[in-house]
Amino acid sequence: MTAVIEALGVTKNYGATRALDGVSFSIEAGRIVGLIGPNGAGKTTALKAILGLTTFGGELRVLGLDPRTERDALMREVCFIADVAVLPRWLRVRQALDFVAGVHPRFDPAIAEGFLRKTDIRMSSRVRELSKGMVTQLHLALVLAIDARLLVLDEPTLGLDLLYRRNFYDTLLNDYFDKQRTILLTTHQVEEVENLFTDVIFIDHGRVALCAAVEELGSRYQQLTLAAEQAPRARALQPFYEREIFGRVAMYFEGRSAAELGAFGELRTPSIADLFVAKMQGMGSR
Amino acid sequence: MNSTLADIAPGPGSDAARAVTRGRGEVLVTLVRREFWEHRALWLAPLVIVGLVALSTAIGRVHIELDDAERLGSSPEALLSIVQLVLAVPLYITSVFVGSYYLLDCLYAERKDRSILFWKSLPVSDGLTVGAKLLVGLVVVPFGVFALALVADAVYTAILETRVALGNVPRVLNWSTREWLRTEAVMFLATLFAVLWWAPIAGYLLLVSAWVRRAPILWATLPLVLGPVLEWVAFGTRYLLSFSDYRINGIWGILGAGHLNIVSKHGLHPVGTALEVLDLRGAFTAIDLWLGLAATVALVYAAIRIRRYRDDT
Repeated sequence: MTAVIEALGVTKNYGATRALDGVSFSIEAGRIVGLIGPNGAGKTTALKAILGLTTFGGELRVLGLDPRTERDALMREVCFIADVAVLPRWLRVRQALDFVAGVHPRFDPAIAEGFLRKTDIRMSSRVRELSKGMVTQLHLALVLAIDARLLVLDEPTLGLDLLYRRNFYDTLLNDYFDKQRTILLTTHQVEEVENLFTDVIFIDHGRVALCAAVEELGSRYQQLTLAAEQAPRARALQPFYEREIFGRVAMYFEGRSAAELGAFGELRTPSIADLFVAKMQGMGSR
Repeated sequence: MNSTLADIAPGPGSDAARAVTRGRGEVLVTLVRREFWEHRALWLAPLVIVGLVALSTAIGRVHIELDDAERLGSSPEALLSIVQLVLAVPLYITSVFVGSYYLLDCLYAERKDRSILFWKSLPVSDGLTVGAKLLVGLVVVPFGVFALALVADAVYTAILETRVALGNVPRVLNWSTREWLRTEAVMFLATLFAVLWWAPIAGYLLLVSAWVRRAPILWATLPLVLGPVLEWVAFGTRYLLSFSDYRINGIWGILGAGHLNIVSKHGLHPVGTALEVLDLRGAFTAIDLWLGLAATVALVYAAIRIRRYRDDT
């Protein structure tokens, strides 16, 4: 099976700033991948490169196509929601459906209409009359009705309240995702969606800090919570990050076994959010 | 390219019978419709003008001096064609402004409201998108306005005939199907040559629209004002001014519009006489017209490249 996205040494400079510094990763079909990084880490630049919205150096194939030269063909198979604000404010809901139906060979208006019937959105409304949450629902309705193989979501729920966010991800999982589709998602609210991911890519300063399947994380990373007086001895095993919680110490290890660590305290697999913080802070302190 | 995609794996639930591409024609029609949804002035402004002109034909009065009246009375068919032309002029002038503003705004507006990322998320090439906008500005609006003017003239004529029948105004116009058709033909040719001659201006407006970060009107007009001023200050010459004047008005000179003699001391001549006077063949084969079209292609190509590769969204 060909990888859905195959990046090899992708670089991008904005003037003297190096936004992507030799990024390499591979995403298989049927995965939900979280692209996670601090602000300015290069997430959006990476997505833009994948979507053919920017020039870049290095090798990048998306669904076997080069986004630089085969963008139009690529867009038949790829959907993206870049930000909630991108639907034009003058557009009517009915016009949005008509337009996408008129230009997209894989769009099924019946699916979009069915989805919209479950919301408070009226066909005659203009986008400017809709609340932010409703605009996202409309965009999601359009995207879900497209039979795409890769869905790219860049902060899709930014600025939405909890109910809309929950609803958004539930719909995505239940009505859309299947083993042939791939979803690439960036978000700041990692805790909220970490159960969703099958894979994570951490990106920092334009470099890939981690690229792993979630089920691998347990064997690669360990979080050890131990009493403060045990800490000096545990430090000999070289945690890449540690922090204090209520007088106890949490240490994060890579590639240690339960046999090595178990004696010091409580051992578990770190959550993606914790691992992200540990990775980013740990790299920064070195 | 499609086969490459199909080779990797068929999309989920994809129907083999469903074409992977929509017909270009269908996509183009959708793109053109979309322009009229967004830029409502394109169809609202001409309709408002038709309404206003219709209103003025319904209640307006034209004061005619006596010796004028004698002249007019001698050529009622010429007067019909002149009235036909004069009533259509506000519509054409409006559409030139509305169309120019549209071309200057269309590619800028999608970046201003950031909707460009939505349009770019759909499988429509930049070439087709920009091409559709050029089509709207250079074909759909001008010739749509020509068709509207034709229908509107029927409305104006009906209103005037009603007023004559009611004894509201004296009959000074004599209906002549031949002269009416010839006047429409003149207006069609004028529209056609205006479109061909002004095409590079349309390309220039699209390029500015795709390029500037803010204030497209300012950036579009600034070089046209500043260039000639600087040239005059620096060299005391006016080549730029005469060049822009030529690229705006030159076609009428090439057509020989100066030889037209519709209204003169000696009387009125039907607008349709232009068909015999104007040098249509000379205008069609004028090298400057074709150079302008070549420049249009280059300008539009530049606008497409900018829309494709600019990265500030």
